This record gives sequence, structure tokens and C-alpha cells, in this order.
Amino acid sequence: MPTDTSGTPVPAARARRPPVPRHAPVTPLSRGRAVLASEWIKLRSLRSLRATALSGFAFSVGLAFLVCSGFQARWHTLGAQAQAHFRPVDTGLGFLQITPLFFGALGALVVTTEYGTGQIRGTFVATPQRPLVLAAKALLVGLLGFGLALVTVSAAFLLGQSRLSGATPHASPADSGAAGAVLGGALYLTLTGLLGLFLGALARSTAVAISALLCLFTILPVLVNNLPKGFVWRHTVPYLPSNLGFSLWHSHVGFLLRPVSAGCVLALYVVVTAAAGMALLRTRDG
Amino acid sequence: MNAHLVRTAAEGRRHGPRARLRATARSEWVKLWSVRSAPAVLGATAVVIVLGALVLCSGYRSGWASMSASERAAFDPASTSLRGIEPAQLFVGALGVLAVTGEYGTGLIRTTLAATPQRAQVLVVKGLVLGAVVWAVTTASSFGAFALGQHLLTGPVPHAELEDPGVLRAVLGGGLYLTLIALFGTALGALSRSTPLGLAALFGVLLVLPLMVGLLPSGLADGILPYLPGEAGSQVWHVMPPSPHSLGPWQGFSLFALDVVVSAGAVLTLTRKRDV
Repeated sequence: MPTDTSGTPVPAARARRPPVPRHAPVTPLSRGRAVLASEWIKLRSLRSLRATALSGFAFSVGLAFLVCSGFQARWHTLGAQAQAHFRPVDTGLGFLQITPLFFGALGALVVTTEYGTGQIRGTFVATPQRPLVLAAKALLVGLLGFGLALVTVSAAFLLGQSRLSGATPHASPADSGAAGAVLGGALYLTLTGLLGLFLGALARSTAVAISALLCLFTILPVLVNNLPKGFVWRHTVPYLPSNLGFSLWHSHVGFLLRPVSAGCVLALYVVVTAAAGMALLRTRDG
Repeated sequence: MNAHLVRTAAEGRRHGPRARLRATARSEWVKLWSVRSAPAVLGATAVVIVLGALVLCSGYRSGWASMSASERAAFDPASTSLRGIEPAQLFVGALGVLAVTGEYGTGLIRTTLAATPQRAQVLVVKGLVLGAVVWAVTTASSFGAFALGQHLLTGPVPHAELEDPGVLRAVLGGGLYLTLIALFGTALGALSRSTPLGLAALFGVLLVLPLMVGLLPSGLADGILPYLPGEAGSQVWHVMPPSPHSLGPWQGFSLFALDVVVSAGAVLTLTRKRDV
């Protein structure tokens, strides 16, 4: 009979078990890296994410092209007042009223598809530190989203301005305010991506998350922006996410916020949604 | 032989198109109400329509003093109180899409079509049942929103009465418009057979398309905007036309109805040919 190191006999079954491989101890850092790696694989392998990102890019660039071509072709039919009010940067970046929907959907899909397929259960069994999972998703969505947003907005801006020529005013990236507007637009899209991610974590369903985004970014602004600008309006409507984003890329309009404060308030929205998402993630079923 | 079998045999004898129609309608009714989200969505629709009147009419009431003379002249008290319809169309549209795609998602559609191989009949009855329920809820909510909104428009702010020209048509039009939205959603859901695709198609057409067109130079936009489905259909719940280029209330509504009929026609042709 085999014996252990002290010479006491041990049962054969235990003795034949292969030695336990010695893993490096799990440190918070190594766990973080592992979670990040697994989230990266999931993000890369989701077909619907690639489709949403590509259609968001194509939509933005295509719309910028269409709108600027339209203004170029019809410049002489515009009235003197419309010509005086024409700002090439604002018009060229007009797609930023719709593109946030694509980025919001992108962020939401990162979470809701996992709930849809049931993959989330495997994820949470592997990493019971649920907020860590969401934080890893947010880090990736934030970084990749900003890259994608910057490429999308810059490409659409350059293509749009290249369509404007002759008598039609046009802007170059070096013009004052142009680079700021492009950067502001990219920041707006990144923040909506993150907002979509955390809304998705709250809703856990693609349909609900996307409906919420549509309500927030297309219906609510149309409904309240034209109300008379009374006291209540001035202290609520400029703080809608869509109007904060508008302040980030559009030249200043009447009662709306200045870009820096608008960016801060929009970031605050993301932080509050994130906190709600993290808190509920701990208490709800997977 | 027990009572149950006797009854099925008796029902078997009077198997006719009418009995089948009644049975299909009853099963669609059961399916609509047993989806847990349906009563919640219909409730939310009613709340949003009435809430819209509350927010908008009190907004105009408090901001009236700061409005210019031209803004005051363009103020339409009846349709302002009905503008909760704009967010509500999201809910009924999603309900319409989910009425079909939910069944594809769970696989229940196979049982449904095995029980009733007359596929076109299943879809038509589904649309009729959903349409009737949505019409009842949204028409009642429109009247509620109108009453609340006009009650809030006091003092110098003009308000509308049901007897005023076009007002009753607008309030009834609110229910009709939302019913068509639900049916449009059902048709797009049946065409796409997938919840995300159906929702994207419906809201792409209703919400995103007008925003896109609005970015174009105004001469171009004025020529396209009035003919978009949502824009055309919503004329029926407006008393004053929102823009000089708008179609007339019934003209616009008929155009939207035509869009819905064409998409329903596409569904009925495709549904015979496609796999479940």
C-alpha cells in the first residue's frame, strides 16, 4: 500500500490522483484581466454588434453625403434668410440627431443578447463578481465606442464638407470650432453607447432597451422642444440627453447648455444609470 | 362516452367556416391576453396619452405669456392635448410587432398553424382582434386626454370644445391613427418574423425617416415629408394643419391606410409560401 510523506498508508484512489497543478493565486488584477479577455471574445464574436456598428457608420456617412449634396444642389433656391443662417458644420453633422440610436443600440445589445441567449448564466457562474463583469463591458464599449465614433464622425464630416463648394459655405477641419464639434459629436456617441449599455443591464431585454432609447432620443425631444420657453421649460428641457448631446456638437442655441457643462451632465446620466445597473445586478436573478 | 367527447363530436358535425372563424378569434383573444406584457403595454399606452395632455397643456398654460403673436395664432388646443399619441405610438406599435414575433420566438406559431392551416385567416383574425382592442383603449384615452387637456387650458389660453369644427374628428382620429399603427406593426412583424428587425423597421419608418428628411434643405423636405406614413396618418388627429404642405386629414389618413394595406397584402402573399 502506498504511503504519504509521513509514512501513513493512504487509500489507493487518492494516491493515484494526479498532482493538483499549481495555479498562480487569483489576484484582483489577474481576475480583472481574465474578465476583460472573456468580454473581448464575446464582443468580437457577436454578429449583431458588427452589423449595428457597420450600419451606424454607413448611415451617418451616407446621410452626411445626402444632406450636403442636397444643400449644394439647392443653394441658389434657398432664401436669403436661410442662406444667412446656414452653418456648414452644423448641417454636415446633422446626422448626429439620429446616429446616437445606433450607438445606444450597440451598447444595449452587448448586455441584452447575453440575457437573450442565456449566456449570462455561464458568465455569472464563471465570475460571481457581477459588477466587475459590467465594468469590463463598459470599459470595452467606452474604448471601442470612442474609436468607432471618432472614425464615423470624422469620415462623415470630411465627406460632407467635400460636397460643399463654390458659393456654398464649407468648413475645413482646421476652422475654429470644427475639430471641437467633431470631438464633441464623438464624445456624445460614446456616452450614448455607455448609456445604452447600462439601460440594457437594467432592462435585460433588447426590445425594452431599444424602445427606451427611442423614447429618450427621438420622441421626447420632438414633444417638448417646441413648448413655450417658460420657467419650467428652461430648467428641464435643456437637460434632456438629446439636448445635452446637441450642445456638444452644434453651435450654441438659445436656452441650451454650453458644451463643457453639457458633457458633464451627460456623463452624470451615465454614472447614475451605471450605479442603478450595478446595484440591481447584485440583487436580481441572472 | 364521457361528456367531453360527446361535445367535441357535436362540434365536429357543425364544422364550418363560421365555426372555424369563431374558434380562431377566440384563440387569438386568449393569446393576446395571456402574453403578460399586453395588459401592461395597453395600460402604459393609456397613461402616456393622458400624461402627454397633462405635461403639454400645463406647459402652454404656464408659458403662454412668453409666446409671440404668431406662435399664439398657430396654437392648436385640441391636437396639443392629443400629442401624447406620439410617445404612445411606440407602445402600440411594439405591441403589434410582438403579437406576431412573440409567437415565432416561442415556437407557438407552429401549433397555431397546425391547428388552423388557413394561415391568411389566422393573420387577418389576429389583426382584427388586436385592432379592436387597441382601438377601444386608445379612443377612450384620446377622449380622456382631450377632456383633461382642455380643463387645464384656462385663462387667456384658448381651448377647444368637441362641437368646434374638426375637433370630434381629431379626437376620434387619435384612436384610428394608433389602431393603424398597431396593424402596421403586426404586418411588419409578420414580414420580418423577428422582434428586433420588426421593431427597427417600424420605428425606422415612423420616427427615423422624418428626422432624416428634416435635415434636407427645406424645399426638398417639404416635398417628401407630407407623404411619409407617420406624417400623413397623423393629420387625422390635427385640427390645424401642422405645416402648409400637410395633406388633408382624411387624405393623409387614407395614404397611411394604403401603406398598411400594401404591407398586409405582402404578408398575406408571403405567408402562404414561407416555412414556419
